[in-house]
Amino acid sequence: MAQPPLSQRIQRLERELGVRLFERTSRQVTITKGGTLLLDEAREILARSEALRATARRIQEGRSGLLRAALPPDLAGDTVAAILAAFQRRNDGVELELHELTTADQLAGLASHDLDVGLIRHPCDVSGLELGPVLRHELGVLLAHDAPAARSEAVPLTALTGYDLILFPRAQAPAVHDDLLTTCARHGYTPTCVRHGQGPSFTRGLLLSSRAIAFSPRDAHPAQDPDLTWRPLAGAPLTLRHSAAWPRGRGDAAALAFADTVTDALAATATAGGDLPPTPLHLRPAAEYWI
Amino acid sequence: MTETKARTRGRVRAAFAEAGVTGWLHAVDIDSGAQLDAGADQPVVTASVHKLCLLVALHQQAEAGRLDLSEQTTCPPRDRTPGPTGLAAMLDDVRLSLRDAAYLMMAVSDNTAADLILERVGLDAVNRTTWRLGLTGTHAVHTFREFLTLLKEDTGPGGPQALTDPRVIAGLRVLDPAATNHSTPRDMTRLLAAIWRDEACAPEHTAAMRRLLGLQVWPHRLASGFPFDDVHVAGKTGSLPTVRNEVGVVEYPDGGRYAVAVFTRASSTAAVLPPADAVIGTAARIAVDALRACRG
Repeated sequence: MAQPPLSQRIQRLERELGVRLFERTSRQVTITKGGTLLLDEAREILARSEALRATARRIQEGRSGLLRAALPPDLAGDTVAAILAAFQRRNDGVELELHELTTADQLAGLASHDLDVGLIRHPCDVSGLELGPVLRHELGVLLAHDAPAARSEAVPLTALTGYDLILFPRAQAPAVHDDLLTTCARHGYTPTCVRHGQGPSFTRGLLLSSRAIAFSPRDAHPAQDPDLTWRPLAGAPLTLRHSAAWPRGRGDAAALAFADTVTDALAATATAGGDLPPTPLHLRPAAEYWI
Repeated sequence: MTETKARTRGRVRAAFAEAGVTGWLHAVDIDSGAQLDAGADQPVVTASVHKLCLLVALHQQAEAGRLDLSEQTTCPPRDRTPGPTGLAAMLDDVRLSLRDAAYLMMAVSDNTAADLILERVGLDAVNRTTWRLGLTGTHAVHTFREFLTLLKEDTGPGGPQALTDPRVIAGLRVLDPAATNHSTPRDMTRLLAAIWRDEACAPEHTAAMRRLLGLQVWPHRLASGFPFDDVHVAGKTGSLPTVRNEVGVVEYPDGGRYAVAVFTRASSTAAVLPPADAVIGTAARIAVDALRACRG
């Protein structure tokens, strides 16, 4: 009687490897210890073969000297220009394919190896990634120049009560989004309405036509716009944190050069004093670990 | 109305995304075998969930006559495996039985108690136990002390504060399933079902294990999804920086019993993150409701 194709293929594999993979009785099939030991390796090979196909596609298209990199959509124009110029100076032979992608999209691209290197916003899920140094940018508030809160030198978050908040859509970086709102609430500002959007024209329109504010780093706001004012926040409670990121073990020369270039460009405007302010961290018993 | 499995899976994933975590779930109706799979074969870091495997190994050895559960053991205050609960937090000499150490290990995830039992049982026996039960994706490579030492080494001189640094998190070996104690959601529901069906040990031993799982004190994860006085929830959590897990069994008054395993990894590095804890209960509830709808 002809055996089903799957069982024939398993037997062929067992002969080829010289290892019995399954115990078969008339009633059930169970994996052997040898089979399990090989299973982990097999899974790894499958994952690697996906990566191999991706690389093969690039070679086939004659683009092996290509670096696929990404930057977040709301990075200051001057910073983007500085990154591009510096990277071209350092890496003449490498063709740079630059994408404008949110943190969530970059994480997906890095995981599927469709992206070689990116600039991601923290916190986010960094599983399987290597990171460059984390740089911090303090956020200030952007508002209509005639808004009462614009009269203060540094605006406390509580003074923003009553203003709507214009913020990037949550799906772009959920943890960053939630962190910002949580910190605002802790410092006395809970916006009545969060309007999701981030294009500069859209934001400007809302800032001028309705009681709304947006947060932005000092260097990202259009300084020459006479209708808008940027003010630092009192006590600098809000920061954006960025780092370059690439898939673990895949940081080749071009990817690392891009990571360095991005880090240097951001460092020019970053808040000094390292990644994190020295706040205490109280682990609670439910944390289960202790160091 | 019965939801299709794909729709339920979609709701589970949406709940994880809403809470800012990546999550993997497996839920099984212990009696019918009906199941819901949302990443059930993903290799995951177990952390303290592995104490459940150790508990089963302990009872199997007791059943085989290799040890006595009422055997007394002493625990001097010096050089204890660190932890925030139980013996790990106590200051003086303790003398207690193996089964009371097991109680502390399961009820408050006591790391010292776990290593006390592990010293007696042995890591190899734990792996033999999971192997014999068919948990082929489950393996322990570290004692809890080794595990915490590795965490401390990778965290560096900055202490716990450094654990909010994404770069430190990205470099933690204890977060890599290939480098530390690991399992899969499907393996863990299989283990729970074996305990609830009296297949892991003789009934007196499985009953003792079910009792301990029911004495866990934490209300914030699996149990939070079932806010009903007449529903019994028994489970074991596991936690690490960005990692929040729980595996357990939910029992309804009509006799329905469901093994659920939920493993998550949060985007935020915050140590206190209530939505990430609660979504374990939310996701489990979505899955159990769907399994109960199938029962008709």
